[in-house]
Amino acid sequence: MPDKYVLIGNSAAALAAIDGIRRHDPTGAITVVNREEGPAYSRVALPYYVAGEMTLQDLLIRERPDYAAKGVTLTENENAVAVDTVGKQVELESGAKLAYDKLLIATGSETIVPPIQGLDDVPHHYLWTLDDAVGMKQAAEKAATAVVIGGGFIGMLAAEALRKLKITLTIVEVAPILLPQLLDDAAGAIFLRAVRDQGVTVKTGAMVAGVAQAGSGIRVTLKDGEAFEVDMAVVATGVKPCLDCLHDAAIDVNKGVLVDAYLQSSHADVYAAGDAAETPDFLSDERSIYAIWPTAVEQGRVAGANMAGAGQAYPGSLGMNVVELFNVTLAQLGRFREAPDDEAKLLSPGDNGLYRKIVVGPDGRLAGAVYLGDENGVAEMGVIHSAIRRREQWQGFQPGRQPKFVYADVNARVPQ
Amino acid sequence: MKQIVVHQEKCTACRECELACSFTHEQKFLPALSRIRVADFYEEQFYQPMVCVHCADAPCATVCPTVAIQRQPDGQVKVSDERCIGCKMCLLACPFGVMGFSPDRGVAHNCDFCDDQPQCVEFCTPGALEYADVVSVEALAKQKAAAALGLPNSAQAAD
Repeated sequence: MPDKYVLIGNSAAALAAIDGIRRHDPTGAITVVNREEGPAYSRVALPYYVAGEMTLQDLLIRERPDYAAKGVTLTENENAVAVDTVGKQVELESGAKLAYDKLLIATGSETIVPPIQGLDDVPHHYLWTLDDAVGMKQAAEKAATAVVIGGGFIGMLAAEALRKLKITLTIVEVAPILLPQLLDDAAGAIFLRAVRDQGVTVKTGAMVAGVAQAGSGIRVTLKDGEAFEVDMAVVATGVKPCLDCLHDAAIDVNKGVLVDAYLQSSHADVYAAGDAAETPDFLSDERSIYAIWPTAVEQGRVAGANMAGAGQAYPGSLGMNVVELFNVTLAQLGRFREAPDDEAKLLSPGDNGLYRKIVVGPDGRLAGAVYLGDENGVAEMGVIHSAIRRREQWQGFQPGRQPKFVYADVNARVPQ
Repeated sequence: MKQIVVHQEKCTACRECELACSFTHEQKFLPALSRIRVADFYEEQFYQPMVCVHCADAPCATVCPTVAIQRQPDGQVKVSDERCIGCKMCLLACPFGVMGFSPDRGVAHNCDFCDDQPQCVEFCTPGALEYADVVSVEALAKQKAAAALGLPNSAQAAD
């Protein structure tokens, strides 16, 4: 049994890894290296803090004593700058060195800074870390108008938070729809209409060319030459794995740390989980990074267990997301845009604000789904989620009846 | 631990349970807000009440990004209204489709046994719902399965 575990990171993956290790090794020393201050907070909840619905205290999902209670040493405000896989130690920014027997890279993601002219010269905000959220909230208190650059998941969550603060919004998105990582074209069109109906200016198929200070505001110029002024700017053009500490380590990296089905990297004592890991995928042979909370938790658990010698196989990541924005609930599972050999089954076509689509793979098995509707319809997506995980076959429409999804054990008893 | 036990063969899809549940928790007679849901297959005359089983390794709790869903000392998997931010990830994670959402309160919900007096059970006229100790339910299921295989005593042997 390893004596010393070091986990670089202090969010979903690392926290789950602590539990994973402790299930198999109740005593080995665990050190968590946190580049931010304090115990873990919930990144998912940050938009709710910006909107004034939660306090900083509410964001915390651990307290310092929780770490000690599990025999974990929490190192705060410390960045891991290098990993020495030969000497088996992690070098910290302070110069300190941490020896490990098993190491977990759970460094997560960092925001991508887009190539926008003049961005460095104007105040702008991201929504990824706690500090980002604090800065955005302060700026929002003085702003009446804002531009959100990027209409993806984080951009739309920022937009929703600012909308709740009665800020007039302009959203600029390069794709023809908002949330292209979550919606297909049909659902995207319905959602786009809903957002515009609520008085938001949305510029799709557009890119910001430059930003510049204009009095107390910011002048935004689009690629097509159109220009407008706003009080604050939010940038949300995506995130990328945070792998700075691995720059000269002998570990195979593509977009993220490449790991096998045991979440082990090319180096036997080094594991990776969460946004920093490029892992096997549930639906394809390609490795994937979804950068979502549930995936980070699942991977963290398995990686932790395996660091303690459990030998658990990771079943592969399945993309899943759900969000309520502008009074519409949206959810996505797996391969939600059909590939050429897939077949789309439209359960609800989108009129009356309800859109349900299931994607069936060439093997006849469920591969993905998109949902747009009210809050409680997401429960059905949960059942579809488990059906995809069990690799169930599409049962087919029955004439004159709505397809119904209930848990398989029940379904199996229904006379067909 | 006591659970809601479903005797599927007795369910008539009258939906009294859904109304009792939604009224008890949300003060509205709205089946969509019920924590117990009857899946109906009318042509086959097959009705299956679905309600939270408080899974041993609960997917809703695993995915919750604010640790709002936690197992209580009595075994119940419970949503904390204070900690829940209404993200609905638990609805997307529940394989049984029995996590629900209250739009008025903005939080997710599952069966909480109505403080040890489940109203769905109280109002279930056909007797399809029972509030009983899980251990005895498991034993009963084993006995039934054993009987079906012609092994009357294997339930006791398994215990």
